[in-house]
Amino acid sequence: MSRDSILKTIRQNKPEFTPLQKYLEVTDPKSGRELLEIFEKSLNQVGAQFIELSLNEEIDTYLSIHFPEAHQIGKNGFWDQYGADCSKEKLDQIDTIILEGQLGVAENGAIWLDESDFPNRLVPFIAQTFIVRLDSGKILSNMMEAYCRLNLENTGFGVFISGPSKTADIEQSLVYGAHGPKSLLVVIY
Amino acid sequence: MRGHSEKAAQFLKDENRADWHDQTLWMVRQKRDVAAWSVPGWEDLREEASQIKDHVLSNLDNYLLQFEEKVIENGGTVHWASDAQEFNDLILTIIQKNRAKKIVKSKSMLTEECGLNPYLEKNGVEVVDTDLGERIIQFRNEPPSHIVLPAIHLKKEEIGELFEEKLKTAKGNSDPQYLTAVARSHLREKFLAADVAITGVNFAVADTGTVVVCTNEGNADMGVHAAKVQIHCLGIEKIIPGTKDLAVFIRLLARSATGQPITTYTSHYRKPKPGGQMHVVIVDNGRSKLLGNETYRNSLKCIRCGACMNTCPVYRRSGGHSYNYVIPGPIGSILGPDSDINKFKDLPFVSTLCGSCTNVCPVKINIHELLYDWRQEISEQKILPLSKRYLMKIAGIVLAHNTVYNLSGKVARWAIRNLSGKLIYHRINVWGRERELPEAPRESFKQWYRKNSLERRSGNEQG
Repeated sequence: MSRDSILKTIRQNKPEFTPLQKYLEVTDPKSGRELLEIFEKSLNQVGAQFIELSLNEEIDTYLSIHFPEAHQIGKNGFWDQYGADCSKEKLDQIDTIILEGQLGVAENGAIWLDESDFPNRLVPFIAQTFIVRLDSGKILSNMMEAYCRLNLENTGFGVFISGPSKTADIEQSLVYGAHGPKSLLVVIY
Repeated sequence: MRGHSEKAAQFLKDENRADWHDQTLWMVRQKRDVAAWSVPGWEDLREEASQIKDHVLSNLDNYLLQFEEKVIENGGTVHWASDAQEFNDLILTIIQKNRAKKIVKSKSMLTEECGLNPYLEKNGVEVVDTDLGERIIQFRNEPPSHIVLPAIHLKKEEIGELFEEKLKTAKGNSDPQYLTAVARSHLREKFLAADVAITGVNFAVADTGTVVVCTNEGNADMGVHAAKVQIHCLGIEKIIPGTKDLAVFIRLLARSATGQPITTYTSHYRKPKPGGQMHVVIVDNGRSKLLGNETYRNSLKCIRCGACMNTCPVYRRSGGHSYNYVIPGPIGSILGPDSDINKFKDLPFVSTLCGSCTNVCPVKINIHELLYDWRQEISEQKILPLSKRYLMKIAGIVLAHNTVYNLSGKVARWAIRNLSGKLIYHRINVWGRERELPEAPRESFKQWYRKNSLERRSGNEQG
């Protein structure tokens, strides 16, 4: 009932049709190296840490030395253990997770992941420490380029994550770790 | 109900707090400038956003239908509410159908507008606001004083004392790091126990049926993914056509709001989680009527970034609570009178009309012009207090007649110089209540100008 009356009022009241304009051109001719530098500057700004590593073995060694207890996607049955029907209490015990990001955005340090990248939607938010691996070839200049690359129809849930969870609700003092991860490390390769 | 000026006077009694409030919000405004100027073509981006909103408003019914169809296709449920009462009832019904008792909510100005929390509590449902600022003001039983920084009116010592009472924190400790850590574990318990999570909506993408929510804390996601049932509350004006439009608005939102390049989390909810439910409640509550008002329709473009508040010289010096309306500051002073002209008739006058709000608005709403329009309308409807009406009438006569204007200037200059302070700052002189009058010169500007231009002319002739 309300549906029809709301739509009826809108039809009576809406202004004359204005067509959608062409979108501004925002493609960026910067090289991969330049984009990477801007991306790293943005990561700094949003409170994320980062490290550049080159070889796969180098990454594995680095992560196993520094985060021996971390749950890593694709390893030790992580996917099966923490699936969609995993209890919240068990998920709450996760300390460190390592996931793979799909793309990064230079202008704001945001990294896109969707539910094909983690076994349970809570995982990227409930962990205390969050590590994302990101291929440096997948860094785009800005959000327009990023959204043009993504297809939202492909996923039930997806998220841009830029830095660790944060709040400044007490006197504008910035504190990391409001509800989600207290720190975010981006491993760029 | 006390009007803005009385409440502002109350706020200004604590001079240190008022100064801190003013400077802190100005700092946020400056951060916004730095962020905006770092984006090439920022002004074009604002124009683009404004045009997208024009287009959406002109095709709103079709976009809502497209969005509804997509949400259903994705496995969600869509509900429609004409007004606050229907909205509150709908939410309560979803909660009761699921036999839920514990609810977590992330920030939503729409639920504030509709009074959802008190309604649910009255019906025996516990609602926990999970944004830290919102939780603080919920403990204090207060409304938010800013739409993005809800507890900006409070000092950390007050929050420390509040947490001592509510969360048993250490006495005298008001370190933000410590208080946030305690709130984190308190709220994590609530997240894990909740059956239903409620969120607002920043953008609803019509062509994919995606609900987009932006937070820094991650509280929307902790709630939505932990609870079986997720409910998103959507004002009809939050709809946008597609993903490219989303790119335009996401680039503008956080930069305008807090000067961040993007919020920490920009979450895209499209399908319910396995075994879960996703509800979207589409709310009108006066918006479709406002759409028909050619003058004020532009205010429906608002994306609730709060930039107009941070920059407003009156908001910064009077605090959000002085506005009485759920959305304070310049944009709220347009939306308030639209919802109830008698109740909020003083708000359009709570502005210097300096236009700073219009300059920072990411969707280019002509805020100060709309405030001016409201003033005209409110004056014509004769609902202003008598004192203001008569003063306006007198001012109108004085300013329209040359001789009367010259004479009253003369009288005023004489009076300020010669009458006692008691007479000049008499209570009928409302303007003099908070202000010192300047020293009165002996001659008017007109007289001064005539004399000086004559002198200069004769000087030039001599030279």
